Amino acid sequence: MSLLSVRDLTVKFSNRTGALTALNGISFDLARGERLGIVGESGAGKSITGFALMNLLSQPGFIDGGQILFEGEDVTQMSKKQVRDMRGNRMAMIFQDPMVTLNPVLTIGQQMVETLRAHRKLSFEEARQIALVKLKEVYIPSPVERFEQYPHELSGGMRQRIIIAMALLLDPKLIIADEPTTALDVTIQADIMELLLEMCQSNQVGLILITHDLGVVSQVTERTMVMYAGRIIENGPTRSIINDPQHPYTQGLISALPQQTQPGQRLKQIPGVMPTLSDMPSGCPFHPRCDHATETCKSQVPDISQSGESFVACHEVHRLQKELASEAAQ
Amino acid sequence: MLKYSLRRSLAVVPTLLSLIIICFFLMRLAPGGPFTSERPLPPAIMANVLERYGLDQPLHIQLWTYIKNIVFHFDFGPSFSQRDYTVNDLIAAGFPVTLTYGFWSAVFVLALGIPLGVVAALRQNSFWDYIMTGFAIFSQIFPNFVLAPLLVLLFTLALGWLPGGGWNGGHWSYIIMPAVALGTSYLANVARITRSSLLEILGAPYIRTARAKGLPERTILIRHALKPTLLPVISYMSPVFVYMITGSVFVDVFFSTGGIGQKFIDAAYTRDYSVILGLAILYSVLTFVLNLLVDLAYAAIDPKVRSGLK
Repeated sequence: MSLLSVRDLTVKFSNRTGALTALNGISFDLARGERLGIVGESGAGKSITGFALMNLLSQPGFIDGGQILFEGEDVTQMSKKQVRDMRGNRMAMIFQDPMVTLNPVLTIGQQMVETLRAHRKLSFEEARQIALVKLKEVYIPSPVERFEQYPHELSGGMRQRIIIAMALLLDPKLIIADEPTTALDVTIQADIMELLLEMCQSNQVGLILITHDLGVVSQVTERTMVMYAGRIIENGPTRSIINDPQHPYTQGLISALPQQTQPGQRLKQIPGVMPTLSDMPSGCPFHPRCDHATETCKSQVPDISQSGESFVACHEVHRLQKELASEAAQ
Repeated sequence: MLKYSLRRSLAVVPTLLSLIIICFFLMRLAPGGPFTSERPLPPAIMANVLERYGLDQPLHIQLWTYIKNIVFHFDFGPSFSQRDYTVNDLIAAGFPVTLTYGFWSAVFVLALGIPLGVVAALRQNSFWDYIMTGFAIFSQIFPNFVLAPLLVLLFTLALGWLPGGGWNGGHWSYIIMPAVALGTSYLANVARITRSSLLEILGAPYIRTARAKGLPERTILIRHALKPTLLPVISYMSPVFVYMITGSVFVDVFFSTGGIGQKFIDAAYTRDYSVILGLAILYSVLTFVLNLLVDLAYAAIDPKVRSGLK
């Protein structure tokens, strides 16, 4: 049985006139200890997916249908108490900006201990010992002093380490990391990513890494999911997504990477912008920006089908692959 | 923290000194004096009276004597209008009254305003939220000089539940109406500020973190949200505390409580130089003390401020 199995998950945001669809029936699986990257532009639905998995969507967002089976239980059907028991305990989350995700008026220690004691019957001292061990595991120097300090006394990198330690406190089965390094200094980003990878590998924790950085994804994850306008458009092994992208959008993303361009050339880009929720095109949401779009693309939403090692939502993917292959043969 | 308080206290000395000097000369600039009346006193008697109070001396000598007496004897001089009373006597009689109902008024404002704001924020856009907002607007258009007569009309004249004025040694029934009249508009503001502050805090990323950790909503509200929510309330209350304890001139006069506000008015009418000066000093010392307390409260809540004080 897989650790996480998402089926037809739909998330909507209600507004004055009705509801806008932010996630349009997405499905994917995650095996135990597997590391999955979710990439896409801002507004593609990456973070919404993360929040929905934790049942953390707040008004006006809501889950409108589908299943989130986590260790066999459906998160969407859980009672408030069951959700609370799951959060931070079996499924933990790491957020974007460590400067604002820790409470400024509570010490590091208080914030760690309360997490432990919310889920297990522990004395303060027992909880403190566990917290100190976790702080040491994420290479925090002098954890005993840090335990007493307030967030503002620590650097951004240090805080993100602490947040990782907090996520690991109760040995969760799955960690959802939402752009964990975006707000950090470039020099620290690599350290934090390495730490996250190490922690997941040594503790057999599943990871969902939400990011727009394909470099980070290739460094950390085994599988990658590309999202566009609230849908999954490609899902496959990270290696093949990077080296052999199937969907025209993924191909565009990869060729837009600076490494793909010779010095002095202009960087490649995908023309146009991603549609907004209120202005979704008919058919394949990518067709207005796609060079290969046909009449079918304009009217019908493509199903997911296998192509190469990945699963791709594109009507034309097989034709394109054939063309590529014949080009290569010539 | 102690060092910080001491440093702040020392800084208040020059402020007080300049305040005394300015007030002293300002009052002398006002026409008339404590002993001018419609029928002028015979010159010989006038000279005697002025000599008795030291008003025949040159101004700088008077000022010097005044300051000297305060510093060395803690003596703020005799009242010019009320014979046999010193300023110290008058303040000792009036200040406890104002302090008492000012204190209860502050309790009323905080004990009711903060919970009201919290409820309104948690039930945003609900019936209770609208009631609270309506009440806030209502109390803005009914300042204390409108509210006080209305209270008396209702609770004294119509229902006969509460006495319409006086003090009676501070019996609770005499405290309620002055405290409510004084506090209501601040209460509404406190509720409004608490509401918007809590709404903002509840949207903060660290509250989302707390939810993601699986904490119960009540813990999130009390441990994570309430402390930072109170910071703007404390900022707002800083000058209000002073006003409540000192500036209740209207309430003092309306309810004839015998508080210092009433004494201030009387003294201004009669050009009672020493009483006005004494009260001005009292007000500024209170302002200083309460501001210091508020700053310390700020430091107690916000660790960032605390490490700044060290």
